[in-house]
Amino acid sequence: MKLGNFFQITEKTAAFLTFGFVLILPVILSFNPYYLSVFIIALILGGVSLSWNLLAGVCGQVSFGHAAFFGIGAYGSSLLVLKAGWNPFGAMIIAAFFGVIGAIIIGTPAFRLRGPYFALSILGFAEVVKLLTLNLTWLTDGSQGLFNIPALPAIRIGGTTLEFFISRTTNYYLAAFLMLAIYLVIYFLNHSNTGLAMSAVQGDEETAAGIGVPVFRTKLLTLMVSAFCTALMGAFYAHYVHFLSPDSAFDGSWSVMPIVASLFGGMGTLIGPSIGALVITGLDEFVFKHFFETGHKLFFGILLAVVIVWTPKGLFGKSIRKK
Amino acid sequence: MISNTTIIQSVLSGLLEGGNYALYSLGLAFVFGIMQIINMAHGEFLVLGGYIAYWLLVKWGVNPLMALPVAALLAGGTSFLSYRIFIERIRTTVELNTLVLTFGIGIFLSNLYLQLWSADIRNISVNWMEDPVHLGGIYISLGEIVTFVISFAAVLFLHLFLRRTKTGKAIRITAIDRDAAALSGINVERVDLLAFSIGGALAGLGGPLLGMLSFVSPNTGLHITVKAFILTVLAGVGSIPGLIVAGMILGVGEALTVTFVSSSYRELFGFTLFLVILLARPSGLFGKRG
Repeated sequence: MKLGNFFQITEKTAAFLTFGFVLILPVILSFNPYYLSVFIIALILGGVSLSWNLLAGVCGQVSFGHAAFFGIGAYGSSLLVLKAGWNPFGAMIIAAFFGVIGAIIIGTPAFRLRGPYFALSILGFAEVVKLLTLNLTWLTDGSQGLFNIPALPAIRIGGTTLEFFISRTTNYYLAAFLMLAIYLVIYFLNHSNTGLAMSAVQGDEETAAGIGVPVFRTKLLTLMVSAFCTALMGAFYAHYVHFLSPDSAFDGSWSVMPIVASLFGGMGTLIGPSIGALVITGLDEFVFKHFFETGHKLFFGILLAVVIVWTPKGLFGKSIRKK
Repeated sequence: MISNTTIIQSVLSGLLEGGNYALYSLGLAFVFGIMQIINMAHGEFLVLGGYIAYWLLVKWGVNPLMALPVAALLAGGTSFLSYRIFIERIRTTVELNTLVLTFGIGIFLSNLYLQLWSADIRNISVNWMEDPVHLGGIYISLGEIVTFVISFAAVLFLHLFLRRTKTGKAIRITAIDRDAAALSGINVERVDLLAFSIGGALAGLGGPLLGMLSFVSPNTGLHITVKAFILTVLAGVGSIPGLIVAGMILGVGEALTVTFVSSSYRELFGFTLFLVILLARPSGLFGKRG
């Protein structure tokens, strides 16, 4: 990683570059609907990866089950709209709070212990939430899934109308906006006193506790923020694809891919995971799928192992100075 | 109304199934107890054993019981390679790294199975498995008894190996105090490699049994890893014989959940039990209180 030593930019510059790129990407792709749909998913994944990394990269708690929060957000918002007739925008926000409730349910017992307990508890939690979604058929329609989930209503700004039902472009920019919002939340949280507490917990829990950092509370709070943002992205996903099944909303990919994206982009940075998400989604769609049609995700296993062993700071970790 | 016979029947099946759960968890519990590494690829090693027995039976008609040593050997070999190529290099870094690394190995393996053998579920069906054994008014299948005996023997064997043999003692000493073990002439790197490979082989041994009693598929692995972790925590980290009791508690609990509630909520029992244990007695049923 000699490159990292020559080429160094600050976190802020990296963030400006990333969001600048995201802004002009549709122009580069000449608004091709297929490419846009690929990168909408990449941006959704980017938002989830940023949230995952807040917990893992900043606070040191690895989660193998973020799909739980993603699915809770997706189902929560869809059900509020379909069964209670809510406005999708309001439903998305409330569904994100459902994610927070999930975080409290699993975080409270699991964060009492150190070590791998949390990582595995949340994996079990994701399985259980999926199981409940499959079996509480009176609420979720079970394995049949939810159809015709309404798109977000059109927004009128001045004379222009932004509609979300057909236009990939508006969905793309809303996804980008959500990712930016999540990034800003994480950025300011990291630069607050709570952020210092998170870093202390990541560094050494016992020392942190010794100097008066409320370890348990810090971990739980970080998980709650992370779950909120993940569930928000899940809710957006539901209104974007219009269809959910327990298998799609709680797909293990929503747990796995944020990990790959974060490691690839650099866990020690704040913006890195979103860069990682854009790159790996592109790789998966345009390269890996051409090699192995069904098992293409095996490349991500290799990628994880190789990054962890040989470049633990990720591909951009050394190039981005965290300030 | 659920009759008494039905209840006794399901308790007995649960007890026998619990013995198998102990074997399914044995590799993970052993590696965690000795090396403080949670092997997230544990379930994938187990599933590999299941696939091996399946293909041996389908292609050459090999009795799945004869396939057991092959399954253990190949899963152990995969485990050995994973350790030599990757895990060894980051053994001494933070715990988070081995967790994510083994998770990555698991993703690689499960997607490899998906690519090679499709997403279809594979059941290893042998005729004698279904032969009924009658005990009074209760009926158990021969398969349930045979797999239980194998599982119980494997747990016992590992226990004796750790207590009675020189290598076993070296492994235990390394787990207790790495530096002291190295000072007294034990090659601790070799012990790590051995322990991890044994963990993989034990997982591989469970695969054919799982395939015979239910099925294996590329998705089964992670599910088994979670279950194995739940049992490890329930038994108390480091307690190998405790796994049998923990397995039986889980087995009976699940069987009664199926009888009284519904088969869809079977998996819920284990997780609820896990959360209760985490809150009430994190050192497990047989672990040392820390």
